[in-house]
Amino acid sequence: MTPVIMTVNGAEVSATVEPRTHLADFLREQLLLTGTHLGCEHGVCGACTILIDGEPARACIVYAATCGGRDVRTIEGLADDPIAAALRSAFTAEHALQCGYCTPGMLVSARDIVRRLPDADEDRIRLELAGNLCRCTGYNGIVRAIRRVLAQRPQDVIVAKPPLPRGQFAEVREAAPTVTRADAAPTSTPGDTLKQTLRLALPRETVWRAVCDPALIASCVPGARVTSVNGDRIAGELVASLGPIEARFAGEAIVTYDSHGGQIKAHGRDPASGTRLSADATFQVAEDGPQASTITLDIVYALRGPLAQFGRGPVVRVFAAEIADAVGRNLEARLRGEAIPEAPRLRAGSLIWRALWRWLRGLIGGR
Amino acid sequence: MKPAPFELARPANLAEAAAALAQNLGEARLLAGGQSLGPMLNLRLVRPAMLVAIAHLPELGAVAEDADAVTIGAAVTHAAIADGRTPDVGNRILARIADGIAYRAVRNLGTIGGSLCHGDPAADWLTTLTALGASAITWSKTGGRAIPLAHFITGAFRTALAPGEIVQAVRVPRPSSQAHWGYYKACRKPGEFAHAMAAVLDDSARGVRRAVIGAAGGPPVVLEGEQVTPVAAGDALRTAGLDAVARHMQAVALKRALAEAVA
Ligand SMILES: Cc1cc2nc3c(=O)[nH]c(=O)nc-3n(C[C@H](O)[C@H](O)[C@H](O)COP(=O)(O)OP(=O)(O)OC[C@H]3O[C@@H](n4cnc5c(N)ncnc54)[C@H](O)[C@@H]3O)c2cc1C
Ligand code: FES
Ligand code: FES
Repeated sequence: MTPVIMTVNGAEVSATVEPRTHLADFLREQLLLTGTHLGCEHGVCGACTILIDGEPARACIVYAATCGGRDVRTIEGLADDPIAAALRSAFTAEHALQCGYCTPGMLVSARDIVRRLPDADEDRIRLELAGNLCRCTGYNGIVRAIRRVLAQRPQDVIVAKPPLPRGQFAEVREAAPTVTRADAAPTSTPGDTLKQTLRLALPRETVWRAVCDPALIASCVPGARVTSVNGDRIAGELVASLGPIEARFAGEAIVTYDSHGGQIKAHGRDPASGTRLSADATFQVAEDGPQASTITLDIVYALRGPLAQFGRGPVVRVFAAEIADAVGRNLEARLRGEAIPEAPRLRAGSLIWRALWRWLRGLIGGR
Repeated sequence: MKPAPFELARPANLAEAAAALAQNLGEARLLAGGQSLGPMLNLRLVRPAMLVAIAHLPELGAVAEDADAVTIGAAVTHAAIADGRTPDVGNRILARIADGIAYRAVRNLGTIGGSLCHGDPAADWLTTLTALGASAITWSKTGGRAIPLAHFITGAFRTALAPGEIVQAVRVPRPSSQAHWGYYKACRKPGEFAHAMAAVLDDSARGVRRAVIGAAGGPPVVLEGEQVTPVAAGDALRTAGLDAVARHMQAVALKRALAEAVA
């Protein structure tokens, strides 16, 4: 728990919060200011828009513990604000709300438009409203209401803020680094499909025998682990990490083989984020000269849920190409009897582990 | 939606922030505006044990300029740049880019440094500042280094930063007064991440002709000199994870950016 003192609607508030509590939850659940609504909780819908130090901000992606010393104003705190009052009447007159869910955030953004852009025309108003979703009104009434208030030319326009202070930045001592780039080349076709080709410097029969052993293949996939094999059903885990993002998919695959090829149907879910991944793939092992072979994979996949917001099509394709590349290298190493090179990985320890470690250090007489 | 539990550190200066990161390597992440990290935390895609808040640090909130370049602190917000509260590199180039990022409520907190370090291939600053030839200036106890943005992202959401290294500022060289600039992004809805984007800097006085294509599957694709054509872009994009439709959209984005740069 972290102590925090901030100003909310003009009054000083001192509270203790869990660092993970976002400002909207803090306002709604600790201060019972339920005028701030929550829709998406990831910054997209605008329902939670409030004012921090006089400027609109998303309360769902600001953590209350970081708001020490800030001046927070919610829709409740705009009761006596002249522009908000003019907007409320205009919203009523122009039918600018129906269910009202978007309205608190809409009013905060509308007030910002009126103050910051006194000359805004209809196009500009619509552009500015792109960050506030309304599922009921179709926006026409909202746009008319804002135009009505703009036409009244309210006096309270924003005073331009001063330029930022001049500063000195660290002297650069080191030359630019040499960089290693992920150099993967996916061959892609339209839609959420992927085609991967692995070239292996091994004879086809050796590769085919390996491919018929799912546990062996899984051991070559970075982050994958087979937990059980039951006939053609394979259960397992896949940890995919992309920069700071990490998803642990637990799931099942059904593999069927025909001559030098086969099908995989797989699905998995990351319980922490609720992301679901499903894929249908066909694979083929072909000869590429006596001592070399290729594995081709045609994959149709669907990524649904939170991760899909960041793992857009092109990102997933390049990522898959990198994994395929690693699988190829690991498989070759494995079949030649070499050890699989361990990918360097920084593991974020869990809080429990950290707490335990601190406690242990305390016992041993550290800090 | 709640993020997984984390501890929060609020250092008083950059040295303290660096120390907090160094003591918790692999477990702590910096929190700037939270406009990218917040969504990832709320969706539990990222579960760090500790966050080190840096948006309030004065060392990251300042600007500097000389005859050759403008330097903008990492924690300067998109809104401050859009409102002209920072020096620009001419013709409101930076202000116009900033004004097209996300929505005003997001611009008020989102920072230029956070945007680069988040490493989203479709981020506006990554593509445009790479085209302008900018570098990230990092900070460490022994001094910083300048990482050209063309080499800053090693893949989607992955940067060339060493563990514990902090971006302190972005140094943007000034184009000459005769330079031409063009930037185009294709979004289905204003403020959402682009499906295709291209930036062009044509500055013959400084011997620069560069196009950068973003919103691909990995680092921005940089084309120099003679290579600045939609055809060359099409070839360069074959390894960028794009399907035929996306490659076509990228070619159109580049054509439009080129047209703006000629105008
Ligand atoms: C609804 C919505 C729409 C958006 N649309 C767009 C868009 O169209 N175009 C666009 O470009 N962006 C868009 N964004 C992203 C926005 O620009 C973010 O502000 C920006 O990407 C991240 O900046 P931040 O300061 O919020 O960083 P944070 O979210 O705080 O941090 C992002 C990452 O960078 C790291 N980091 C932050 N600062 C530093 C530093 N100084 N040194 C080292 N590492 C650091 C953090 O650890 C974290 O991993 C959108 C965001 C939202 C919520
Ligand atoms: S709830 Fe905050 S933007 Fe949707
Ligand atoms: S009035 Fe119902 S969402 Fe806008």
